[in-house]
Amino acid sequence: MVNKIKVKQLSCYYNKKCVLKSLSINIVQNEILSVIGPANSGKTTFLRTLNRMNDLNIAYYRDGVVYLDDNNIFDMNMEKLRRRVGMLFAMPIPLPMSIYENIVYAPKLFGLIKTKSEQNDIVEQTLKDASLWDEVKDRLNFSAMKMSGGQQQRLCIARILAVNPEVILFDEPCSGLDPISTAKVEEAMIELKRKYTIVLVTNNVKQASRVSDKTAFFLMGRLIEIDKTGELFVSPKKKETEDYITGRFG
Amino acid sequence: MRKTIDNIMEIIIFVCGMLSVVFVVLIFAFLFKESFTFLKDFGIVRFIIGHFWYPTSEPPSFGIFSLIMGSVLVTTGACLIAVPIGVMTALFISEIAPKGVKDVLKSLVELMAAIPSVVIGFVGMVTIVPIVKNIFNLPTGLTAFSGAMMLAFMAIPTIVTISEDAISSVPWQYKEGALALGATKWQTIRRIVLKAAMPGIIAAIMLGIGRVIGETMAVMMITGNAAHIPHSIFEPVRTMTATIAAEMGETVREGMHYKSLFAIGFVLFVITFMVNFLADLFLGKNKNL
Repeated sequence: MVNKIKVKQLSCYYNKKCVLKSLSINIVQNEILSVIGPANSGKTTFLRTLNRMNDLNIAYYRDGVVYLDDNNIFDMNMEKLRRRVGMLFAMPIPLPMSIYENIVYAPKLFGLIKTKSEQNDIVEQTLKDASLWDEVKDRLNFSAMKMSGGQQQRLCIARILAVNPEVILFDEPCSGLDPISTAKVEEAMIELKRKYTIVLVTNNVKQASRVSDKTAFFLMGRLIEIDKTGELFVSPKKKETEDYITGRFG
Repeated sequence: MRKTIDNIMEIIIFVCGMLSVVFVVLIFAFLFKESFTFLKDFGIVRFIIGHFWYPTSEPPSFGIFSLIMGSVLVTTGACLIAVPIGVMTALFISEIAPKGVKDVLKSLVELMAAIPSVVIGFVGMVTIVPIVKNIFNLPTGLTAFSGAMMLAFMAIPTIVTISEDAISSVPWQYKEGALALGATKWQTIRRIVLKAAMPGIIAAIMLGIGRVIGETMAVMMITGNAAHIPHSIFEPVRTMTATIAAEMGETVREGMHYKSLFAIGFVLFVITFMVNFLADLFLGKNKNL
């Protein structure tokens, strides 16, 4: 049980309005932590703080520290941090190029791969890890824009894997997908936790119970409860948590 | 009742749509008709590669090679100046400039497009021309270079406005996706934003070139109008458009000279058509992705 990420007293603000209040949370290596909660509970802000995507927003301000392997991420080079902490968005966003190019784009950009055979290897390996290889191996040079939504989302996973991150953040990755595609993405996630640490923000409570090791419940910018997924869903300690997971509000 | 209105509207829209096609075909046919007999009598090859444009000598010589070279030189020069400046301005406006600067800059650039070409020619005559003369120590400042500079000013607003639209309409998710992979802002702009906006940028450049190649007034005032084959960009040149504008008033209607000017117009039309056609080919190629 190694803590990959340690969040200490993190508060976040947009235009001086507090959206996340002194949050402290530990994320264990090779586990899936899912974050659930109603709208405006600060889940996405939390996620986007972990790889500093929010730093692009000038209205955003934060307080507190986040350690990745004992280094404060706010002291790190932003680009280097984002290579270590990859992020998958709600809508699949393949870049406007072929499947193959989508995957080798970032490693090429960072000079991680040089030869053609290294490229081929990385494409095959990442697509296999994202459970997509069998579906697309014969049409790697086709435009990624022509794939189905679920395939695009798994391609985006493969693209993140290609830069060899340590942590992957999933921001409601299945909100636009049908149940079968959702099942495939979830399957890929469970495969991935052997190599990576995963944080999953989801509006789908059942999804959290299916895939995650730990679940955290956020409400109005506060962490209400965090526990092993089995515990939290079977016997939540707080009343708000119980109300939310049983569907009484939110 | 509704059905009839629908049908009538459909017909109106169809007619309007067809009108532009009809106009282009008519212009083409008219130019062809007016220049056909001339091209047949004088010889199309002699017309295009002939070095000497002496339409009023006896016997007259109608070689437009020097005019074509003049147009090509001025247009290329203008593009070399306008395209980098235009595209980078567009990038600055849409990706880098803070909100306030962006709005001011955008309306200023749009205002630039509204300056009449006579005014640009006039301003060029009293500013650029003497500067070029002094800096490069030339016998005259009325050169292809001065013309190219002023034409670049005219093409820049077109290029900036349309490329800026293309760049701004790149979905922000593309940028976010690239940034989340750890790309820097510049890498994102270069590899993703520019790539996704490329068809729009090419279209902007083509429209800019179209404006430059067809421009008459400013080039007539600034390039010196010497119909000889230029050896460098610092020599006076004469373009095809300037020739037509300058000489049309002095010709005998239906005469050889008169028809030769239509033939120049015809050649100009073919050139612009080819530029557009190449642009379309290029754009079509990119559509697959």
